[in-house]
Amino acid sequence: MRYLALLAVFVLIVVPNCSSEKSDSATRVRIVFKHGKISGDPEEFRLLLRHFERRNPGIAVRDETLPASTDEQHQFYVTNLEGGRADFDVFSMDVIWVPEFSRAGWLMDLSDMLPQEERLDFFPGPIRAVTFDNRIYAIPWYIDAGLLFYRKDILAKYGFKPPEKWDNLVSVSRALMSRDPGLYGFIWQGKQYEGLVCNALEFIWSNNGDIIDGDRLVINSGENIYALRFMRDLIYRYRVSPSLVTTATEEPCRHIFGKGKAVFMRNWPYAWNLFNAEDSPVKGKVGVTVLPSFKKGRSSSTLGGWQLGIYRHTKHPGEARKLIKFLISPESQKALSLAAGYNPVRKSLYRDRDLITKQPFLPGLFRVFMKARPRPVTPYYMMISQVLQPEFSAAITGIRSPAAALTSAQKQIGHILEAGHER
Amino acid sequence: MKDKERGIRYVAPSLIVLTLVTVYPVLYVFYLSLHRKLLIFNISKFIALDNYLFLIRDERFWNALRNTAYFTGLSVALELLLGLGIAVLLNRSFRLKGASRAIVLIPWAIPTVVSARMWEMMFNTDFGVINYLLGVKINWLGSPFWAIHAAIFVDVWKTTPFVVILLTAGLQVIPRELYSAARIDGAGSWQMFRSVTLPLLLPVILVVLLFRTLDAFRVFDAVYVLTGGGPANSTETVSIYAYKVLFQTLQFGYGSALSLVVFFCTGSIGIFYIRLMTGRRT
Amino acid sequence: MMKRAGFYALLAVVMLYCAGPLAWQLITSIKLSGEIAVLPPLVSTNPTAAHYLSVFHDYSFARYILNSLIVAGSTTILSLLLGSICSFGLAKLRVPFASLVLAFILSVSMFPPIATVSPLYIIIRTLGLRDTLAALVMTHTVFSLPLTVWVLTNFFRTVPDDIYHAARIDGCRPFQVYWKIMLPLSLPAVFTTAILVFIFSWNEFLFALTFTSASARTVPVAIALFPGIHEMPWGEIAAASVIVTLPIILLVLLFQRKIVEGLTSGAVKG
Repeated sequence: MRYLALLAVFVLIVVPNCSSEKSDSATRVRIVFKHGKISGDPEEFRLLLRHFERRNPGIAVRDETLPASTDEQHQFYVTNLEGGRADFDVFSMDVIWVPEFSRAGWLMDLSDMLPQEERLDFFPGPIRAVTFDNRIYAIPWYIDAGLLFYRKDILAKYGFKPPEKWDNLVSVSRALMSRDPGLYGFIWQGKQYEGLVCNALEFIWSNNGDIIDGDRLVINSGENIYALRFMRDLIYRYRVSPSLVTTATEEPCRHIFGKGKAVFMRNWPYAWNLFNAEDSPVKGKVGVTVLPSFKKGRSSSTLGGWQLGIYRHTKHPGEARKLIKFLISPESQKALSLAAGYNPVRKSLYRDRDLITKQPFLPGLFRVFMKARPRPVTPYYMMISQVLQPEFSAAITGIRSPAAALTSAQKQIGHILEAGHER
Repeated sequence: MKDKERGIRYVAPSLIVLTLVTVYPVLYVFYLSLHRKLLIFNISKFIALDNYLFLIRDERFWNALRNTAYFTGLSVALELLLGLGIAVLLNRSFRLKGASRAIVLIPWAIPTVVSARMWEMMFNTDFGVINYLLGVKINWLGSPFWAIHAAIFVDVWKTTPFVVILLTAGLQVIPRELYSAARIDGAGSWQMFRSVTLPLLLPVILVVLLFRTLDAFRVFDAVYVLTGGGPANSTETVSIYAYKVLFQTLQFGYGSALSLVVFFCTGSIGIFYIRLMTGRRT
Repeated sequence: MMKRAGFYALLAVVMLYCAGPLAWQLITSIKLSGEIAVLPPLVSTNPTAAHYLSVFHDYSFARYILNSLIVAGSTTILSLLLGSICSFGLAKLRVPFASLVLAFILSVSMFPPIATVSPLYIIIRTLGLRDTLAALVMTHTVFSLPLTVWVLTNFFRTVPDDIYHAARIDGCRPFQVYWKIMLPLSLPAVFTTAILVFIFSWNEFLFALTFTSASARTVPVAIALFPGIHEMPWGEIAAASVIVTLPIILLVLLFQRKIVEGLTSGAVKG
């Protein structure tokens, strides 16, 4: 049939496969490194990679930046890795993905890269997050944890201390807001996305609540209901958080706080460098401390941060290992920290002079990172989070009572885990 | 008299690709929906109708269906009203008529994703131009009540031009004499609209309703980019729910069951309208 | 006079409503990053092209635009080719159950893409076509076929049968009639359809989002997934939006009449 032949010709002519690019030089092995956007000047990170190439003349690294949010990156990875033909060798993973990707068989076993004595230099939380079935499937790259930012100058002016308990934060905020009506009290990330789960867990944990206790689901506990109701009350009852927090992610919060319009903010450490940049209106006026807790609970931070893994079917495992080894070396960790404000995963660097000069609160962060708690470490985490995100969002926007939202979450997650246990 | 030869050979290629890329997949979706299929962990197990039994008890599904129905109903109604108004306005003769018509087409031509991004920026609580012009501080995309209406608004803005085009074409085939006759009978403009324009336009209106209802019911990109389904799933439509289940966690079994619901709903809507139209004709 | 003024005032409101948001995007795209998050002033005091440069330099938009052009272009050609042949058969030749066939083709346009995306994903993955432009061309072609067939069948039917028979008597085979007579005669309708299919493919999001991941990414997906770590690069998004929208707007302004014809064909007559 003539037209089918015509069609075939068209497909061949019109639809060339654009993805095949010749590597720049035939002698060098090219490895592809996928990662999320590096904050700060991207050139600094490229310099680091060029440095690696100079040291390893046989290897060329092509780095490619992925879409913004962690959820979008996750979709990118699952659809690419699942097909079994991913075209990258090394990639960075959010702390919550490693068990899932390991179970799916997409990651190379890297246990030998972290011998026991070296492992001791890493923070415990990330190590727990990259361990699956007693093997290590990814190497921690940089670490994050939730912090309370506050305005030193305003608190000092009216004689307040940074709050250690949540009700204390409410009363201080209300007092300050009544003196300056243009000011928001406390801003945090309440949009329906992964960040909301991080925020909510910090409230829940600081009230002795949890999601999974051993093998048992404990989502609709009294502690959790209380914590979630408090989050909602921050907006609608105490009115110390503006209703915009229900759509806020990290950057809108950072912008508002950075313009001097809020007293307290929950955010990740990256904000510190930006607040102390030359043209920042709040330069020198910002303090950082651990998040408050409820009366009977202890301050808790959600562990964040990114890990480096190797695609199981890579053609260049040796070169890929070299790149990871380079990126987690103390020198690279230090360089990345200076350039982008990313916090090293190696404990020893928290005593480094240069780093402390640039980031005076680094020793303080050490305490937080030591205690930062990973979100439930399970291959089913993403499915769990897909349930938690809308239910938490429903509770804090008042669509559902916290009790109803958590009960519904308990039911749905129970169904997922039940289905997961059978083969 | 038609040529007896070869007709089917001309039609066959199109029919074959259409079947391969649409009919076959729908059958395949049904097959998938009878399985617990977690692509990630290579789990695939026949579970008969379990996915559907779960679906019936799934509050999130019912919530998505409610959102979709509300979104569809309100946006189609508004598009029709607004489209009718603009079509009548543009049907008069005036200078720059061609240019005005081209401008009206702009929202239709803008990629849906771009228009969602555009409005997302304009709806921003803090620095959005809408709050600035209105002099308010409404959290458009953050409160469940406003978010669904903002999404409807964006859809109405984007698709009204399509309605305008079809209705304008419909208006143009209405014979002028009917209006002069009505005027002689002493009819005012409202009466003329009711007794001449509306009845004669009805067939076109039905076509518009058919297209728009089907489109609105399967809405995905506009809302996915604007709100991602939030806050608290208050803007999550069935298509978005299905997509998230399918591609964020690769649960192809349950995701397929959800997407089949969209298929059956749009199918029923289509049949309903087509019956209405053929019913009128006979 | 008052009535006239009222009419023009109303018209102005409608025009502002339709074109205003795009104009705002244009204004935003030439503001400095710092100015975007602050209102007033509405209009920038010192406009900048920085975001436009950055879109090409930092975000490789040239690549995405090229991808989109290839996909939309190939889709248009393939869809017209397949569709016009099919329409010719339906309009001029004897096809068993012709009206049923047409009804089937039309009903495909009612298929919700979401109901086919999961199996198509599996098929494309199995064929090794993930993240290729071919996968997108294939799906876009098929999903634009109903429109093409519908518009062209309607048009071919308006061409008198006598022309067809005369050509046949002159010894043309049916395919030659199609290629040498019908297509040239129908160029206006073909052109109209081409614009509509091109716009459809250029704007399509669901399949592009699902089937591509890096090298075959198209412009709408790139805009939806603009990289930024925590922040939204609003200036760049605005600039990119203007860049992808302008060609389409140009098409619309130039060929407004054609597009209207295409969209209304059938809907009003049928």
